[in-house]
Amino acid sequence: MSENLTKLAHKIDFTKDQCDGKNYTSTEGDKASEDESTGTPFQPSLWPWDSVRTKLKMALTEVSVLQDVLNITKQKHYMVLDTVSAEAPEARTGLHLYAKKRTLSLASSVLLNGAERLRRSQEASSKKIVPDFHQELLRVRQTWRLKKVGDTILGDLSYKSAGSRFMQNGTFEVTKSDVDPIDLLDSPNAPSHSQSPLQISVPSELEGVVYIQVVIKRLSDSTDLASAELSLPRRSVPSDTYWQHKLEAAQNAIFCKERSSPRSADSLLRRLFTWLLQLSREAIQVKAKIPHLVIGNQIFSHLFPGVQLSVALCHSTDKDKRMTQGSPSPSKHDPVLEHSLHQLLRETHFKNIYHPLPHPVTGIVGVSKRRCLAGPHAFTYSDMVELSCSESLLDRILKQARHTVVHQWAIKVVDELARSIQDPQISAHWGNISSPLESSIKVNITTPFVLHILTDGMRAVCKDGRVIDLSWEPQHLRDLILSQIAQHHIISVQNLSKMMGWPVLSVNTHLGIGDVEPVCNALAIMLASPNGTRVLSIRSGPVSRVRVGLQRYPRRSAPVTSSFDGDGTPPSDIITDPKWQNLGSAFMRVDMDKIEGRNFVNKIEILMASLTTE
Amino acid sequence: MEMPSLNRSMAPLQEYLLQGSILDKHRGPFLHRLNGLCDVVSEMPEKFHDHEMVYHLKGVGVQPMVFRVRRALDHPDSPWHVRYVGQPEIGDKTRQTLVRSYIDVGTSDNISLFLTEMGFKQDHEYVAKGYIFRKGRMKIVVSKIYRMPHQGNTETLDVVSESHVVELSVLAPHGQDQVQEDMKNFAEQLKPLIQLEKIDHKRLQ
Repeated sequence: MSENLTKLAHKIDFTKDQCDGKNYTSTEGDKASEDESTGTPFQPSLWPWDSVRTKLKMALTEVSVLQDVLNITKQKHYMVLDTVSAEAPEARTGLHLYAKKRTLSLASSVLLNGAERLRRSQEASSKKIVPDFHQELLRVRQTWRLKKVGDTILGDLSYKSAGSRFMQNGTFEVTKSDVDPIDLLDSPNAPSHSQSPLQISVPSELEGVVYIQVVIKRLSDSTDLASAELSLPRRSVPSDTYWQHKLEAAQNAIFCKERSSPRSADSLLRRLFTWLLQLSREAIQVKAKIPHLVIGNQIFSHLFPGVQLSVALCHSTDKDKRMTQGSPSPSKHDPVLEHSLHQLLRETHFKNIYHPLPHPVTGIVGVSKRRCLAGPHAFTYSDMVELSCSESLLDRILKQARHTVVHQWAIKVVDELARSIQDPQISAHWGNISSPLESSIKVNITTPFVLHILTDGMRAVCKDGRVIDLSWEPQHLRDLILSQIAQHHIISVQNLSKMMGWPVLSVNTHLGIGDVEPVCNALAIMLASPNGTRVLSIRSGPVSRVRVGLQRYPRRSAPVTSSFDGDGTPPSDIITDPKWQNLGSAFMRVDMDKIEGRNFVNKIEILMASLTTE
Repeated sequence: MEMPSLNRSMAPLQEYLLQGSILDKHRGPFLHRLNGLCDVVSEMPEKFHDHEMVYHLKGVGVQPMVFRVRRALDHPDSPWHVRYVGQPEIGDKTRQTLVRSYIDVGTSDNISLFLTEMGFKQDHEYVAKGYIFRKGRMKIVVSKIYRMPHQGNTETLDVVSESHVVELSVLAPHGQDQVQEDMKNFAEQLKPLIQLEKIDHKRLQ
C-alpha cells in the first residue's frame, strides 16, 4: 500500500514537473529525456492545457480511489492493512492454529452428533420400542428384491433368473400398517404380527406350506414302496418377525440366520409350481399304454402292473399343518429318489438358461451344438427329427421311479436268497457309483456276476461273458440266481475232481432227462474214481437242489448165491458169465445230509476220499 | 431345445451391428461390467480363439465378392463357418444401428480348398482372441486382433493394436426395429467405459 502511495506521490510530482516543463519548451533534448524517464509518450496537443487537465483529472481519480481504500480499511470489514514487518508470520501461526482448532472442534462435534444419533437409533431398534416402518423396510430389502412402482412397494418372489419359465405372478406387496406405533407400546400383549409396522400381502395361492409329494404305491395292498417330498428344508429357527414368517411360509423357506440363500428358497417354490404345471400338461399329452390320470393336483401313472406312481401338490395352510403334524406320515421316505428328483429339476432349469455360445463366434447364438454339426455332417431327416424331440419331464420322472422300484425289488430278492440259502454263501456288493437311472450289484457266488439295474429291467453280465437281459419281474432275478447256484455246484465239483484225480466222464449243463425243473434246466456231472470201480453222478437243479448217486463196478453180487446183493440188483439165473458183472449197477442215492462236512464241496471231497481208499 | 431357425421362414437375415473399441488396460473393468449385465451361467466369461480367412472373387469392374471363413482354433471339432456380409447401410439419425445383410453356413474343414477351386483368392487373414457374451438375442464379442506374419501359421502372431474391438450384434429377419432399440439401450449401459456406435466403414477406407 505504501508503495502505491509513493507511486502516486511520484506521479503528482511528475505532473507538476511537466506543468513546469511546459514553460521551458526550449530544447528538444530535454523533452525527449523527460519522455523517456516517465515512459509516457509526449503528444503535442492542440490545446496547451489539455494534458494538464487530463493529468489533473487522473490525479483526482486516484486520490478518490485512495480515499475509498482508506475508508474501507478503516471499517476493517473487507480489508485489513498489514504492517510489513518480520514479526508478521508469528502472529499468523497463532491465528492459524486457532482457526484449525476451531474447525476441528466443529468437525468433531458433527461426528459426535452423528455417532450419538446412530447409537440412539440402534438402541431403539434393539429394544424395539417403536418399530419403524423404514427400518423394517430396510431389513426386508436386505433379503428380498423390492422395487417401487408408483406409490406401492412391490417385491418379487419369482426366480426367472434361475431359469424358471413359470409365468405366474410372484409379486408381493409391502404396505404400511395402519396401527399407530404408539398404540403398540401401550398394548404389549397384542399378537406379535400386529406389532410390525409392515404388512406383507402375498398371493393367496402362495400362502401356507407347499410341497410336491411323489409316492410309489403298490395297488394290491396300497403300501408305499417309496416316497419323496420335494420341498425346502424345514425351518429350524423360529423367525423373529411377522413379515419374515409370512414370506417364508409363502415360500416354504428356511429362516437362516445368515440369510445366505433366500433366493434359492423362492426359486424352489417357483419350480415346484412350474413342475406340476408342466407335468400335468405333459401327462395329458404323453400317450402311454395306460393313460396318465390327472385329477386336481394329482397325477397318477402306472409304472408296472400293480404299481402306481402319484405326483401330488400338497398345499396346507398353517391351521391344516398343525392338525396333520400329530399323525406321523406312514409313507416310506426315500432320500435317494428325492435327491435325484431335485437334480432333475436343477438340470432342467440349467438347460433353460444355458445355451452354448457359438464357436467360431460368428455363428448363430442359441443353436445347440449338435444342430451346428447337422449341416457339415450331413444329417439325415430322421437325425434331425431325433434332435428336435426331447424327453418330457414326466417321462424322466417315471423312469426314475421305475428304477427305484426295480432297485428295491432287486435288493429284496438278493437279500432273501442270501438269507435262505446257506450253501453256497451269497454276498452282494452294491456299486458306489450309480446314476438315477442305473445302478449295479456284484453278486458273489464264488464266481461273481454283475447285475445292472436299469429302468425297465435288469441285465446280468456273467463271468463267462454271457449277458442275460431280465425283465423287471423279481421272479426272473430269483430264477437267475438259483440257476447260478446250481451251476456253481457243478463247476466246483468239476474243479475238485481235478485235484482229487477223478476223471470226469461227462458234464451236461442242460440235462434232458429226469424230473423237469420248473425253472431252467438241471445240470449234471459224472465222475469215475481213479481205479474205475466207482462212478459218482451229481445232479444239480435250481429248484430240486443237489442229488448225488453212486455206482459201483464190478457188481458185488455173486451170480447165484445170495438173494439180494448190496447193490440192490436181483440175482440172475440167466446171466451167469462174470464178465457181465462189470456192467454198471443201478445208481444208489447218497444222503448228503448224513455225510460229514461243512458244505457241499467239503462233503463231496470227503465222499471222494472215502471212495478212493475203499 | 427350441429351434429358432426351423421356425423361421427362409427370409434373409439382417445383422444389426454396433462397434467400438477399448484400450487393453481398461479391459478388466469392462469385462466385469459385461459379466454383470449379460446372461452368464458360469463364473468366467467364455473365451474364444478364432482364425478368419477372407476370400475375394474379383469380377470385371464390379465389387469383389467377399466370403469370410472362420474356424475355432480352440474347438477343432466344431464346424467351420462361412459368412457373406453385405454392404452396411448407415441410414439416417433415426436408425440406431448399422444394418447389413448376413448369410452364413456351417461347413466342413475343406471349404478353403473348395473356394479356391471356385476361383476365390485369399485376400487376408487374421486371428482373433477374446471373450464372447450373450444377452438374450444380443451377442457381444470382445476380441483382440492379431496379424499373421506367415500365411497359414497361427502360432506366431503380431499384435495389431493396443486395444480390443467390441462388437454388439443381433441377427434378425428384416424390419425388426425393436432390436435396434434394445441394442441402443444396452450400449447406453456401457457408456462410460465404451462408446458403441455405428461406424461408417467407407470413411475408414
